[in-house]
Amino acid sequence: MRNSEITGVFFYNPAGLYPDPTDYQELISYSISFANVTRAFTFSDFIWNEKNILKKIEENNFERIVIAGLIPGTVKALFSKAMTLSGKDPEKVHLASFNDYCTGTRFDSERIKIVMASVISGIPYEFTGVPEELPVNKSTVVIGGGISGIQAALEIAYSNNEVYLIEKSGTIGGKMATFDKTFPTLDCAACILTPKMVEVNQHPKISLMSYSEVIGVSGKPGDFQVKVLRKARKVNVQTCIGCGTCAEKCPAQAPSEFDAGTCMRKAIYIPFPQAVPNKYLVDAENCIYLKNGKCKACIKACPVPGCIDLDEKDSEVTLNVGNIIVATGYRPFNAERMTQFGYGRFPNVLNSLEFERLLNASGPTGGNIHFRSQDKKGNWIFNTSAGQPEKLAIIHCVGSRDKNFNKYCSRVCCMYSLKFAHLIMEKLPEAEIFEYFIDMRSFGKGYEEFYERIRQEDVAIIRGKTAKVEQHGDKLFIRGEDILKGEILENLVDMVILSVGLEASDDALKISEMLGIATNSDGWFEEAHYNLAPTGTCRGGIFLAGTCQGPKDIPDCVAQGSAAAARVIQSILKGRIHDDVMSVSLEKVESKIKELSMES
Amino acid sequence: MSVRVHPELRNQLIQFGIGDWNACYHCGTCTAQCPLSEEGFLFPRKKIRLMQMGLKDELEASVEPWLCYYCGDCSTSCPRDANPGELMMSLRRYLTSIYDWTGLSKKFYTSELWELGFIIVFATLVVLSFLIVLPAMGYHFTKQLTAEGGVQVNAFAPIHVVETFDWTMAAIVASLLVSNILRMYYKIIWKYGNMKVSLWVHIREFWLLIFNFAVQPKFNKCDDKRYWLSHWFLMSGYTIMFIVIVVYLPWFQTEKILPVYDPQRLLGYYATFGLLFGLFIAIIGRFKKKDVKFQFSHVTDWLFLVMLTLTAISGILIHIFRIHGMPLATYISYIAHMAILVPMILIEVPFSKWSHLAYRPFAVYFQQLKKHAVPR
Repeated sequence: MRNSEITGVFFYNPAGLYPDPTDYQELISYSISFANVTRAFTFSDFIWNEKNILKKIEENNFERIVIAGLIPGTVKALFSKAMTLSGKDPEKVHLASFNDYCTGTRFDSERIKIVMASVISGIPYEFTGVPEELPVNKSTVVIGGGISGIQAALEIAYSNNEVYLIEKSGTIGGKMATFDKTFPTLDCAACILTPKMVEVNQHPKISLMSYSEVIGVSGKPGDFQVKVLRKARKVNVQTCIGCGTCAEKCPAQAPSEFDAGTCMRKAIYIPFPQAVPNKYLVDAENCIYLKNGKCKACIKACPVPGCIDLDEKDSEVTLNVGNIIVATGYRPFNAERMTQFGYGRFPNVLNSLEFERLLNASGPTGGNIHFRSQDKKGNWIFNTSAGQPEKLAIIHCVGSRDKNFNKYCSRVCCMYSLKFAHLIMEKLPEAEIFEYFIDMRSFGKGYEEFYERIRQEDVAIIRGKTAKVEQHGDKLFIRGEDILKGEILENLVDMVILSVGLEASDDALKISEMLGIATNSDGWFEEAHYNLAPTGTCRGGIFLAGTCQGPKDIPDCVAQGSAAAARVIQSILKGRIHDDVMSVSLEKVESKIKELSMES
Repeated sequence: MSVRVHPELRNQLIQFGIGDWNACYHCGTCTAQCPLSEEGFLFPRKKIRLMQMGLKDELEASVEPWLCYYCGDCSTSCPRDANPGELMMSLRRYLTSIYDWTGLSKKFYTSELWELGFIIVFATLVVLSFLIVLPAMGYHFTKQLTAEGGVQVNAFAPIHVVETFDWTMAAIVASLLVSNILRMYYKIIWKYGNMKVSLWVHIREFWLLIFNFAVQPKFNKCDDKRYWLSHWFLMSGYTIMFIVIVVYLPWFQTEKILPVYDPQRLLGYYATFGLLFGLFIAIIGRFKKKDVKFQFSHVTDWLFLVMLTLTAISGILIHIFRIHGMPLATYISYIAHMAILVPMILIEVPFSKWSHLAYRPFAVYFQQLKKHAVPR
């Protein structure tokens, strides 16, 4: 072994910190099998404080310490100090984190041993745990057609390689396409996104598969077989001219998904006017012909013969690709779960996606803010016939930073809420706006300046989350504590906007099982290394982009889309790709350690 | 005005209850949803802030912990699991120990050994006085053991002796409690806050004390009304029993067994029912742990409940044995009753959980004084 200093191994495994099925006895005997390790301790062996650790170091004459565990860094300072006090080198405290190198969340004892062997012998894992290289197929699948997926697909396509972009809904564009403006620059979201969407559609190297879902993945890095379900669109994409006559005649209605349910669409529809592909599709659940066998109003109206085929069935295709980029995005937190805010009960309590559509010029009200009202059929929708609010409240952190729901911060809500305030001021200059926040997280480039700018505009920014929203007649009653003033604040407003957080998408679990990549406890996909490989996963040839890895804003999504594409292009140019991290065996690592020790 | 920070306060407080109060990030949800929190007297968030900062003087001068009746809604809605409701409970325990000048309260709250030790010492003293002191005074209860003599409680435990003892005990407890309330008054009204309250306000608002003692109207302002009733039964049952035993003992402890409808027996039955009903709800709740208020029972909470239950049961036993003319059983349960009752009153009323019977109404009174105070 290269390292011959007397080493003490300490397992930091306090009970109850996290679920931990690891067999520490096995790990202790394994670490003692190294020539340089004399003793190994677990957290329960003695009380870990400076005095006791110093005693252990002096008793055993340790020259070097290895702390192993899921979060060993927590106690590093204790050991460094104890080493200093005993006259040893405080730099010789090393961490073997079970969280790194795809070891965490699985508690696979072989993986843990690999990490420990590398740290104990003093040879970095990067040299010992290198997986084998495999040949690579040049085409790539991108799952998800939001901004991250679009960016990744375009980057790869422009490197002259084949890309299949698979999108579940009828149009690419994702959540960004539904937004009105982006923060902090207040760019029109559609104006910067739609050109990219069109680019995707027209690029010869991109095969766009909209209204399709990945249903199975097999094979190994460099040679995946991806099975795709092509849901029946029932409209021929090649011949449809997008005239809209069919939708005019269609008698069936359903809430529009693209508009977050703020207005109705027909059963044969186009998600939004700039959709890509700009072709109609049939919603099989609401189509009257598919339910009762009678209607076909759309076929009668369609000017292109044979374009609409209501009896079309779903089909499957299998794609052979070398790399997969996962960009499946997020879903908004369901505000109905926080019953105190009355979302779903009071018509003028909106979630942020609904409000985003309300602000959008292509939305149900043409960008004007109106109350929610009932149409003739009793559906709650937005239209310009209803009145306009004079007082609006925006409540931050709905479903985020809350141990009862999601404990993490969703990152974007503070900023989009500030953006809302600005856009309301633009559209209703007389309106009073109240922002209820807990902590203002304006962390990005230009964000603090944006916050400052909104504070200069007449917006009441109140520190303190509200406790409840109640309907008092036409008004909504809000009760909260103004933390800075130290007083209860009761407020009557016309409209409440809930800044809902981000959650892992509905399909995340399914995809994680299909691809064999881990999710963390919140459902986000686990990256290979938090700092150094945020786009990689534990599997070779599978990369992450966008919010499926964790909440992030649009610039970060675009950056990560490009970064994931770079990793793919790297493997294509090299012609070789690394196998899964998990494919490295302990034996191999041990022989590699031996080999490297000989050299030095 | 500068304030003195006491970072070690958190470690002290943790002995009085359970909670990760540093988790609070001050969103204000708890305060805003609390129906008891009112302008100028906002809680629990502000108290958490004081606790996090370790502002001891300000905490000691606050009436708010006594205004909280622990419905637990704040802890349920807390996004951080910071457990504000339990902080208010812990602060009540802490404040009890602060008001107490003897220092015994702190010992009882922070050490089970002290509390149990004192209970055992007092219980032993009671038993010994029955077995040694009373016979030495010439009351040989062994003489009344024969069934022909019937149950002669007054011969066994002569009324004037017991009455004298009762009054002595009541005087000790009352003087301790009154001195503690004076300290409470000093901390809340006098020492902190630079305010002046006129004598007239003191007199005018005095009715609040009696009203709050008798009805606990604030408790009924909680969204969850169930516990107000059970608490009221417990409280009224106990108060009636206490008054009857201390003030009207000759009327209550009679040799003659009166008919069931006699006020003496009816009152006793009501008090017993009230006690048992309140105790039943509290004990079942603490076993089930469904409501937040019952989830974090302190040792002293359990001791109080157990001793009160035992007092009630032994009291019922005395009654049953006496009616059925069983002298020995009656006398033994009488001794047991006193051996539980005496330490309970001596420990719980001035030093522990039961002191809230005085602190709560006084806190409402002091709150009212503070509202009418003028800056000094």
